[in-house]
Amino acid sequence: MSSTMIGRRAALGAGVAVLAAPAVLRRARAQAGPLKLGVPTAITGTWAALGAQVVRTCRLWAKTVNAQGGLLGRQVEFLFEDTQGVPANCLRKAQEMVERDRVNILLGLMASSEALAVMPKLAEWNALFISSVNGAGSITAEHWVPNAVRANISGPMGARALALHLRDSPQTDYFCLSLDYAWGRSSVETFEGLLRGIGKRSIGSVFAPVGTRDYSTYIARIRQANPQALYIALTGDDGTAFLRQAAQFRLFERMPIVTETVDMLFTRPAGEAAIGLVGGSRYSFAYDIPANAAFVQRFRAEYNELPDTYDGEQWQALDVLMAAARRANSTETAALVAAMRDLELSSVKGPLRIRACDGQAEQQGFVVRVARKEGFPHPVPEVIRTYPAAEVTPACRSATFA
Amino acid sequence: MDPVALFTLQLLNALSLSALLFFIALGLTLIFGIMRVINFAHGAIYMLGAYVGVTTQTLTGSFALSLVLAPLAAALLGLAFERSALTRLYAREHSAFLLVTFGLALALTEAIRLAWGPDPRQAELPAALAGIVFVLDEPFPVYRLVLIGAGAAAALALWLLLHRTRLGLLMRAASQNAAMTAALGNDVAAVRAAVFALACGLAALGGALAAPLFTAYIGLGTSVIIDAFVIVMIGGMGSFVGTAVGSLLVGFAQTFGNFYFPELALGATYALMIAVLLLRPGGLFGREE
Repeated sequence: MSSTMIGRRAALGAGVAVLAAPAVLRRARAQAGPLKLGVPTAITGTWAALGAQVVRTCRLWAKTVNAQGGLLGRQVEFLFEDTQGVPANCLRKAQEMVERDRVNILLGLMASSEALAVMPKLAEWNALFISSVNGAGSITAEHWVPNAVRANISGPMGARALALHLRDSPQTDYFCLSLDYAWGRSSVETFEGLLRGIGKRSIGSVFAPVGTRDYSTYIARIRQANPQALYIALTGDDGTAFLRQAAQFRLFERMPIVTETVDMLFTRPAGEAAIGLVGGSRYSFAYDIPANAAFVQRFRAEYNELPDTYDGEQWQALDVLMAAARRANSTETAALVAAMRDLELSSVKGPLRIRACDGQAEQQGFVVRVARKEGFPHPVPEVIRTYPAAEVTPACRSATFA
Repeated sequence: MDPVALFTLQLLNALSLSALLFFIALGLTLIFGIMRVINFAHGAIYMLGAYVGVTTQTLTGSFALSLVLAPLAAALLGLAFERSALTRLYAREHSAFLLVTFGLALALTEAIRLAWGPDPRQAELPAALAGIVFVLDEPFPVYRLVLIGAGAAAALALWLLLHRTRLGLLMRAASQNAAMTAALGNDVAAVRAAVFALACGLAALGGALAAPLFTAYIGLGTSVIIDAFVIVMIGGMGSFVGTAVGSLLVGFAQTFGNFYFPELALGATYALMIAVLLLRPGGLFGREE
């Protein structure tokens, strides 16, 4: 099929205007060569550790798919560019990929702000964007465009799963500790709203500057407030430092500690101190799903490491691309966009359905707890609750749960 | 929580933070005292101490050994660096010294990233130190008490070194007038090398002691070196007693400041520094130069 299309396009190119010929021929050559997938992501900067997950999983996927003969018979090649998580960079790099390299599929964008910068241009570029990382609710609500789909779980969906879990827990009075910048403050705001929604309350909050090392004074403050449970929105080294010190002060024995998203990037360095931490989960190697077991095995064989959050999310996004390409029997943008509508598949997080109305992949929601487990050198997340897609997915083109 | 218990806990928290800050600030001030320059690489040396400490503990299982090997490795590195690079710079402008130590900071940070990778490293505390004691019915980590003890012991040991040994005498003499000390037949170059190695060793010991609280990660040095600079400014450049007092002031300002005024958390340390410098421009125990 693809070879007849190339023939037709090449013939068309030769037959039409002389001026347009070089571009059309270039396009024809591109069609015959490998399928190029554009990944403008954060290779350096604040999110470099997350970008590294995206990159290594794309490489593994290309290796796996190419060994099986490629996607629709074409070898797959990823083009990586560093955006440092800056929207302006991302927009420029994505445009370069589309115009210079004839890329029509973009993946692996890191910050939601980057995705929101690129999305309005997709129609003009005739390109498709498959989100694997971006959590902002508006991507599949007021800012959604038809050339975009979100394979990953959104921020509101993750928060919803956690809320459903906490609704059934006995604690009612929470204290919030977060980093003092936009994400931390909005995370606490969302959590406080979510508590109100399930008839619980926040009895106080404190914001620590990014880069805080000694959390003892914050721990004293938490103990003085004496809540029944603690919510933390801390990332990276800050999260690790807090967990270690909280464990040293035996805070876990006083109250359960809950976080927005349990990510091994900050729980692993905390070692034993992370045991008992409960939170939402975007992806974990611990999901008991056959496709996931196969992915984890392949990943460990390649990298001798466990796949982390964005490894799994990225793999799922690439599975979405593969399923859509097979359904469309094409990698042209319009055909893929059409094939994405109500596309059903099964990936590392279980069954998925890309709904036509806003491109969000309906999927299960997970809540995990960090625990010691046989055969692992450090404590790892284990699934404690799984919610069906219907319970954690908001209404179409909405970021909230009425 | 009972207000007395809360205050006592915060007091102990402040003391343990002060102890950690003391190790790195002390090295900075020793180097300044004898060389009249700030060592920009001090934060990177501190970070190196944390990494060497964690790796030693991971490989040998001994936390005590990590507290020996980390300072030893850093002292040797410091010695080699002083003998090979810094010794050529003493006759030059101070800016050359700043540039070279800043270069060492960058090179060392990247070397650590290459050797250990970008992920943080951690090791668990030995059981004896991982426990808690109850202070007025509130749990308090044993390890923080150990830090307070280590800080006090280091202060005492340094005081004895400075005031009761010949090396200490030479260090004080060289800090007052290096040319005169040399003219009297003393090897000032050897004193400088010893001081630099000692200062690096102290910073690395601080890093190894801090690792169980913060883990070893790229950037650990940057976050702590600023506090150390502030301490040296408050205490008075080159003053041993000033550094001890400065460490306590900054430790207390951060601990109590973050508790009562969390919105001003970052400001407490600087407010303290500004207040001190307005009243005594040379620092509490320093001379105006």
